[in-house]
Amino acid sequence: MINFEEELSHFKPSLEVEEVEDAIVDSDLTDMADIMMNLIREGSENKKKDE
Amino acid sequence: MSKPINYTERCGRISNAFYNAGLEKAQIRDLTGAARCLKRSLEFDKYNTNARNLLGLIYYETGETAEALVQWVISSNLQQEHNRAAHYIYEVQGKPGRLEDESVHIRRYNQALLQAQNDNPDLAILQLGRVVDHKPNFVKAHMLLALLYIGREDYARAGKSLYKVLQIDKSNPRALWYMSICKSHTGRADVERRKLKNAFSHHQMQDDDIILPPSYKENTGWQMVLHIVAGLAMGAAVLFFLVMPAREEQLNDSHNRELSQVLEQVNQKSMEIDGMKASMTAMESERDAAAAELKAIVDENGGVLSQYQQLAHILRAYKADDFPTAVELYTELNPEMIEDEGMQAIITEIRLDMEERGYQVLADLAGQARDAGNTDQALAYYQKSLDIKADNPQVLYDMAMVYHGREEEDKANELFGQVIMNYPDTELAEKAKEVRGY
Repeated sequence: MINFEEELSHFKPSLEVEEVEDAIVDSDLTDMADIMMNLIREGSENKKKDE
Repeated sequence: MSKPINYTERCGRISNAFYNAGLEKAQIRDLTGAARCLKRSLEFDKYNTNARNLLGLIYYETGETAEALVQWVISSNLQQEHNRAAHYIYEVQGKPGRLEDESVHIRRYNQALLQAQNDNPDLAILQLGRVVDHKPNFVKAHMLLALLYIGREDYARAGKSLYKVLQIDKSNPRALWYMSICKSHTGRADVERRKLKNAFSHHQMQDDDIILPPSYKENTGWQMVLHIVAGLAMGAAVLFFLVMPAREEQLNDSHNRELSQVLEQVNQKSMEIDGMKASMTAMESERDAAAAELKAIVDENGGVLSQYQQLAHILRAYKADDFPTAVELYTELNPEMIEDEGMQAIITEIRLDMEERGYQVLADLAGQARDAGNTDQALAYYQKSLDIKADNPQVLYDMAMVYHGREEEDKANELFGQVIMNYPDTELAEKAKEVRGY
């Protein structure tokens, strides 16, 4: 059976048109390739420091 | 440096695989599943323009215009050339007033959500109704409206909203769940369960299993009544057109046979009656003859028996030497009716005696009656005297005179005529002529 209040809490406001610009700016575009590149870069830098 | 290149390519491949999965789901309108795959695709490769554009399309299809714009703008920035996203953005922003309308409806939805979450569902339903009227593909608005209807236990209206959601996004799990609840409350779930059971039944057919045709439908109450009435009408028609004529013919044959038997009996009875009538007629004739014979025998005046009695009286008068009485009685006798030969001999002797002296006695009696003024009696005696002896001019004359005295001239003249004609040379004839005036 539906718990009305709980179900209602799952609904989130829809993104308004005026908020598109902010949404784009706030978008996290980091993908798996970026993460891997960062890990590789950090690994290389650590290796240089050790040397 | 070979490892990072390998990782990038591998991420690109994984991203592409998720994109393909998302595309397949989008093609069968599993928009929720498609969006999930496309988001995973972009997590592995943010430059996967197709995945981002398709995600924007899915947002747009479900009414999330702003979310679509976000994806398409990012896509355009990441790939500025040969990008379909520019066209999408132009379609949404290029037509005047369209983006403003979208903004109004989205804002109205957000207000309705706020009202619903603040215990004002009636106003929220009102707002959402207007939103879905203008933006029928807005899945979130339909879902919230369905939830509010379910909260008011108006499962039919909730079902209508959910039906529209599932037309846009067939595998929306929350919509499917809400719909299952609505169906369980409206009885629709049982109907569909039966249909599924019939459609996908794999059990071995038994001899008494019935295969329902696809056109078979569950009857409602009035349909059942209608079918019963139609069945009764057809049964009555069959009875009237098929059974009744045969039954009527059978009854007619039976009646005709009975009628012919009755007619035969009637004819037989009629023949018997005719025979009885004929015999009755014959018997009546016999009876009449017997009655006439009996009457002839017992008749006082002319009967045989009375004639015998009359004869007995005459003989008694002779025995008493009362000859005048014997003469009077003789005038009443009809000797022809007495056939007995012994009696005939007596009658002959009496007749001879009467012809010899009886007629004169009667003439004397007539004279006495005439003198006494009894002309009727006198005429009767004269006639009796003439019956015994017709050749008697004195009686004829005296009788004519009586008639003449009674002024019955015709009868008198006839008798005078007999005297004049039959006895012309007599004194009586002269008198007669004198009376008549010759």
